[in-house]
Amino acid sequence: MKKYLLLLLFLFLFVFESIFIEFLPLKMFGNEVILVPRFLMIAILFFTIFGDVRQGIIAGFIIGLLFDVVYTGVIGIYLVFFPLIAFLVSKVMKVLQTNVVILTFVSILAIALLEFAVYEMNSLIKITNMEFLMFLKKRLLPTMILNLILTVIIGYPLKRFFEKYKKEVMKD
Amino acid sequence: MPQFFLNKRLIILLVSIIILVALIGFSLRDREQLTWPEQFLKDTTGFVQHILAKPTGYITGFFEDVKGLTNTYEENKELKKRLDELAQLEVDVQLLAKENAELREMLDKQDSLRNFKPIHATVIARNADRWEELLIINKGKTNGIEKNMAVVTANGLIGKIKSTQQFTSTVQLLSAMDPTNRISAEILRGDEESIYGTIEGYDEKRELLKLKRIPNDAKIEKGQKVVTSGMGGIFPAGLPIGEVVDVEPDEFGLNQTAYVKPGANLYDIRNVIVVEREMIQPGKNDDAGEEEEDR
Repeated sequence: MKKYLLLLLFLFLFVFESIFIEFLPLKMFGNEVILVPRFLMIAILFFTIFGDVRQGIIAGFIIGLLFDVVYTGVIGIYLVFFPLIAFLVSKVMKVLQTNVVILTFVSILAIALLEFAVYEMNSLIKITNMEFLMFLKKRLLPTMILNLILTVIIGYPLKRFFEKYKKEVMKD
Repeated sequence: MPQFFLNKRLIILLVSIIILVALIGFSLRDREQLTWPEQFLKDTTGFVQHILAKPTGYITGFFEDVKGLTNTYEENKELKKRLDELAQLEVDVQLLAKENAELREMLDKQDSLRNFKPIHATVIARNADRWEELLIINKGKTNGIEKNMAVVTANGLIGKIKSTQQFTSTVQLLSAMDPTNRISAEILRGDEESIYGTIEGYDEKRELLKLKRIPNDAKIEKGQKVVTSGMGGIFPAGLPIGEVVDVEPDEFGLNQTAYVKPGANLYDIRNVIVVEREMIQPGKNDDAGEEEEDR
């Protein structure tokens, strides 16, 4: 049962990420800043830590592929970075204490890493010509702040959901 | 170094880097059509997006309506003033259209570059990572949409079709940094002859389109309207793009570059019109020509 719910959750977040940009009041901030919600990255990280590491990385791989095909059209970038960052965070969390507060901060750092990696890749293949300082000011910082707020809101429910999922899977 | 090759993680890493490069190279190629798995995935998620986009559209629409109510009075006064002018304008347009048709008949010239067939569509999603500005709309091949068609809103041109699937298509906005994104444009100067140039690129800092290759001696003023010229072969003529904000000589001083403010807001797009040109496209009648040669 929980397995289907998990699929539905990821599918919903996948679509919701784009709806969030299209419809919610991000336009209020005008074109000064670029705010990017990273619900999927947050969910993958929470799933990796509170659910299962192996399944989390596989989820990152599949969602990354879907993200590339549907949204960006350049296959390969998220396909690699979603699972890679999930793997790195799982290693980091082995050293740190596993709780929501610490994982929230690690997630924000992971999202910053993701943004930076995708920025470098996109500059390399000339999808963007944004300067580095402009990227920091216009995109990275606002995105980190937005995602901090989002993680605080959805972090605890996600943790509960993934822990229940893990329990159910362990029983089988 | 046997140990080096036995390190499973390292091999996985190397293989994944190779796959990454290969996949990026594959998808960056100028492809006529997406592969069928890609099309299938896009259509399937498009279906879900379509279902979820509708209710959110209603909800945000409701809040916007409430916000709009607060300045209804002022708006109404302004609109009433415009309405009187509109009646006159409508009569003028009808007369001119009739006259135009008659004159065309006299000249025996039926089709014009201006004729097009509109296909209405709704935006169901936007690129979630916001690097390249892409929109996904709810009409596809089954509705007659093809690659490279122009996409407009009521206020002007916003982009072109990047790829199509059966039931959805992807729109690339004018603000995308794509060197192949060139649009043949025309600056209207009232009674004087128009000036032609091409739109190449987008100034991200100033949020203006660059209209390049304008002759050095052409006199351009701020506020002059820019429309598509139809010379590019795919877009019809006369689609509004925007108006001139600034003119600068280009880097070598041989041409001028005009900065054009897009008429349409590229950040707030809900409903779009995909424009299908009625006149034959240069690339398309090749098949017909070949058939004749065979005989």
